Amino acid sequence: MISTFKTGFRLRNTYKANSVIYSLKQIPIIKKLLPDRLYASPGLKTFADIAAVLWELLSVFLGKFLYLLFMVSLMSGLMKTETGAGFSHILLFLSFIGAFMNTNLFNPTKDKYYGIALMNMDAREYVVSNYLYFLIKMIVGFMPFMIWFGTKAGVSLPLCILYPFFIVGFKLVISACVLRDYEKHGKARNENNLPAVAWITVALLLAAAYGPPIWGYALDERIVWAAGLSGIVLGAACLVYVLRFRKYSAMCRKMLGRSSVIFNTAENKREIMQGSYQKKIDITAEAESGKSGFAYFHDLFMKRHRKILIRSSKRTAAILLLLWGMTAAACLIKPELGIQVNGLMLTILPYFMFVMYLTNRGKVVSQAMFMNCDHSMLTYRFYRQPHVILSLFRERLKSVIWLNLPPTLVLAAGLPLLLYLTGGTDQYMNYAILFVSILFMSVFFSVHNLVLYYLLQPYNVEIEMKSMLYSIADGVTYLVCYVLVGKRIPVLLFGVLVIVFCAVYIVLALILVYRYAPKTFRLRR
Amino acid sequence: MKLVIRDLKKSFDNKEVLCGASFSFEKGKIYGLLGRNGAGKTTLFNCINEDMEIDGGEFFLEDEDGAARKPAAEDIGYVLSTPVVPEFLTGREFLKFFLDINRKRIQEVKSEDEYFDFMDIDPEDRDRLLKDYSHGMKNKMQLLVNLIADPAVLLLDEPLTSFDVVVAEEMKQLLRQIKKDHIIIFSTHIMELALDLCDEIAVLNGGVLEPVTKENLSDRDFKDKIIQALKGEEND
Repeated sequence: MISTFKTGFRLRNTYKANSVIYSLKQIPIIKKLLPDRLYASPGLKTFADIAAVLWELLSVFLGKFLYLLFMVSLMSGLMKTETGAGFSHILLFLSFIGAFMNTNLFNPTKDKYYGIALMNMDAREYVVSNYLYFLIKMIVGFMPFMIWFGTKAGVSLPLCILYPFFIVGFKLVISACVLRDYEKHGKARNENNLPAVAWITVALLLAAAYGPPIWGYALDERIVWAAGLSGIVLGAACLVYVLRFRKYSAMCRKMLGRSSVIFNTAENKREIMQGSYQKKIDITAEAESGKSGFAYFHDLFMKRHRKILIRSSKRTAAILLLLWGMTAAACLIKPELGIQVNGLMLTILPYFMFVMYLTNRGKVVSQAMFMNCDHSMLTYRFYRQPHVILSLFRERLKSVIWLNLPPTLVLAAGLPLLLYLTGGTDQYMNYAILFVSILFMSVFFSVHNLVLYYLLQPYNVEIEMKSMLYSIADGVTYLVCYVLVGKRIPVLLFGVLVIVFCAVYIVLALILVYRYAPKTFRLRR
Repeated sequence: MKLVIRDLKKSFDNKEVLCGASFSFEKGKIYGLLGRNGAGKTTLFNCINEDMEIDGGEFFLEDEDGAARKPAAEDIGYVLSTPVVPEFLTGREFLKFFLDINRKRIQEVKSEDEYFDFMDIDPEDRDRLLKDYSHGMKNKMQLLVNLIADPAVLLLDEPLTSFDVVVAEEMKQLLRQIKKDHIIIFSTHIMELALDLCDEIAVLNGGVLEPVTKENLSDRDFKDKIIQALKGEEND
């Protein structure tokens, strides 16, 4: 059993190390430095092994530390109950949830698939050894923080020491029940795909964990003891059952057979992804076009995808309009609120950079374009001719900007109007700046999304993301917009900066596309 | 007209896939490109279609007078083994779009239905979305637009495997019909198909192309000779 466990551990390390190397090789400059041989390099493998062991140690403790800190300790501090009672009350109910949400036994992991389904290792030895290891990690990981946070909260030391065993006991009881259910009814449970009943139970348990302490009620310590000790006793009996269970092999195959892990091959992912995008194509009689050539092609694309493109843009506009209306009404009814809003209007323009980022449909459009159009069309030579790429780019840019217009206009007109309604401003430039800078932001994000797509076209034929640069650029965009949230900068200053920045960016980006897109806009290999 | 490949080189990381492949493909013949899995058949096609940049060597078209020129985009037609068509269009719309943008180059533009008839695509299928087409039908569409574009060189990557026997037979007939005006290179794993359809056999092995000629061998001996070439053994 120990050798099975070791093999499994090594297996996990191997693919973890390989995926680290693989992702390193996706980064442009580093890619060139790393040869393919790397996968076979013993030195690096040893390093990866050590890193994996360290990570394993970290994972034993870090997760539990954070869990106890945020879910239990800090929460119990907020409650009306005495902290010790609140602590053990909350932890008890959360442990019930954990007992079926985090079982290890019923988690269809990749290593189980490789080990059991592909390499035909002894399923019982594999599963049981890993399960025992998981339980030991639970006890070892919880113990120090349980004592630390528990005693600080006022839980008695014996209870703190026994709590990790309670948790393990609960897990064993639930797991044995699920195994028994499999034996009787042949139902293989997958903990990542729980039935609705389980989710309702989770909701109820969560309510039971945090609800009563808010009002000052917590379970009596004797009840916690009773529940925990019966967990230990029953758990011990269940452990015997878990160890003796014979049908792991069949159960795992069934569990893995339905899980996504097995079918996570590039080919299958592509089919699933494309299938879901193709479902969004909507063919109706009115989706016709009187145009010809590329305009015809693009026109039909937009019309066939109006469900995900045009409608959602209108919906966003409607929601924004509603929010605007509510704010405006509130300001008119309560003038003191109006004064605050008036002040905000003059300083929170940075915040709208983030709003514009979120409402822009450019990214969705370019994804749909790839999935349902460019993925296939880019294999045709005529489609990759520079003039074709650029003329289609122009059509697309126009559409994307136009598509984003409804929400943009609501905001661009709404903000100055709100400023006016709440008392206005002496500097009339502010109205104009608000209006123009929102327009610029919208065009900026439209250009940005489309240009990124054309310059870094990140997908290969299997629709796998192959460009680290694209992910980085995308992440940086998000980060910059996010950082701007909460910054208070006067409208005049920020607005002018945004307008200048956007104008310069748009011009540069378009130059780059015209120069490089004919080379970069192709399927990755 | 000839497609001449001279000393073509292409490698990935440090793996040389093509190491100095040379060959001359002539108009009027169907060439069977045989190679084992991973031999680089698709890479060779991708290079000729300029989907990939080559690392060395050259390829060019040479007309009857011996004048050479670099193949332009419209000189190459490439039919992939997995058919790719724009899923959001109907068969007819795709055809219309293709005819629209190539109208200047196509000698005599026929009506869409004539093309569908030619490809034997049922009238009720013509106005359905391509996403609902079967594998074989998508392949037909892909082949059709490539035929309409009338390129000098037609690269076919395992094109017949997705067709049922009846359609496959029709397609073979079709290729035989059009071969007099084209240079057709046909990659396949299936030797019988290659022997049945192709006029010449080119084996891609060890990164180089070599012709395998039948001369006066019996069918059986010819097969053995091809197998040997595929295995990379010396044949004398």
